Amino acid sequence: MVKSNLLKTNQELNVCDDLVYKRVFNETSKTIFNYIYYKFGNEEKANDAVQEAFVKLWENCTKVSPEKAKAYLYTVANNLYLNVIKAEKVRLKYADATLKTTYESPEFIMEENQFKEKLDNALNSLPENQRTTFLLNRIDGKKYAEIAEIEGVSVKAIEKRMHLALKSLREQIDGIC
Amino acid sequence: MRDNYLAKWLNDELTEAELAEFKKSEAFETYQKIKESAAQLDSPKFDIDKAWKAINQNKRVEETKVFILSPFKKFLRVAAVVAILLTGSFFYLSTLDESFVTAYAENKFISLPDTSEVILNAESELAFNEKKWNTNRNVNLEGEAYFKVAKGKKFTVETSEGLVTVLGTQFNVENRKDYFKVTCYEGLVSITINGEETKLPAGNSLLKINGNSTLSKAIVHGKPSWLSKESSFKSIPLHYVLDELQRQYNIEVSTKNINTSQLYTGSFNHENLDLALKSISVPLQIKFNLDGNKVLFYAEETP
Repeated sequence: MVKSNLLKTNQELNVCDDLVYKRVFNETSKTIFNYIYYKFGNEEKANDAVQEAFVKLWENCTKVSPEKAKAYLYTVANNLYLNVIKAEKVRLKYADATLKTTYESPEFIMEENQFKEKLDNALNSLPENQRTTFLLNRIDGKKYAEIAEIEGVSVKAIEKRMHLALKSLREQIDGIC
Repeated sequence: MRDNYLAKWLNDELTEAELAEFKKSEAFETYQKIKESAAQLDSPKFDIDKAWKAINQNKRVEETKVFILSPFKKFLRVAAVVAILLTGSFFYLSTLDESFVTAYAENKFISLPDTSEVILNAESELAFNEKKWNTNRNVNLEGEAYFKVAKGKKFTVETSEGLVTVLGTQFNVENRKDYFKVTCYEGLVSITINGEETKLPAGNSLLKINGNSTLSKAIVHGKPSWLSKESSFKSIPLHYVLDELQRQYNIEVSTKNINTSQLYTGSFNHENLDLALKSISVPLQIKFNLDGNKVLFYAEETP
């Protein structure tokens, strides 16, 4: 009951409302940034996409309902680089999530690092849509359904991309192709 | 193995049997390593506060832009309205009547579009529509005017008292308060008062005072006397004569102990006030006193 009431008040509020706008920003900006970064491996572009998407959202805040705001933001971010030449060589840098306080043997660490390098290379040579899907899922913990919403495709298509991503990562790492 | 089993494996959706089978495959080890290694990946740092500030700045820039543009837009809006009003009023005004007004002691010569001539006596107003003139020779008159109408279609003078219709002639219309007089100098004039038509041949005049109309022979010199700067009257109540005197000289006339409804026959000149006052006072055996532009007529004291 309480929840549905809350939902109702949210719907009544406009994206133009500062609180709603800020909430949408807090929930979505990081994902947009990552999404564009995974695509192009370019932080500047990712930052620009966040700016562009949110300024556009603000300009059209009367036309976009809060529920549609996320989809709108992703569409704007996506369209922004539709015409960008995709041939640019992608070189993603991944910050290390784990602090290195391991008691593993030096050989093991070396092996680890070697594997990591291989993975990095494999990721960079993945098709853009597979890499984006894989990383949104692995790093951002986005569910397949959420990624489907961001990309504007079916969940099934995302599963396919995920499968192919894993498959080609493994093939690259194991030197099969 | 199912479609997209790798995706399902990452999502922990595989059944135990499927998982067991997958684990047996030689590729599993690498997949497991990829999964573990990918768990340590992280995206570059995203400065959310900085992005928020930048957006708010961009928002403000957008707003200022609108602000800079708006005065010009406002100006355009105003200009558009003014332009519409101007063109609108131009077309509206052009359909309005042309009108001529004379003040006290003023005459005006007006040439109508068909070369008909009108001479407007003092304190009178004439209006006509120039646009419709070709189909409708129609003028509105208040006061007195002499018409010399060019031959052509029906020519109508509308007054508050009635219609005067002619085809082409010379006539005079005088329409003052409770006083309506039409004199025909040439041709035939038709007068319609309250739907009743009267034909007035040349050399006749129709006079209506206080609702009573009388037909009479006019003293015709070919033109009304006021055109030769003289007002003449024949058995007209004195107050109409005094009204005319006021109009012609732009003076204020008052009376004392005088019966203003007594009839006056005679004329007065428009150029010499002293002479005009005498022309009125002497036949009636009254006196006058002129002070600036005020004239008082009073009864001669009978000792």
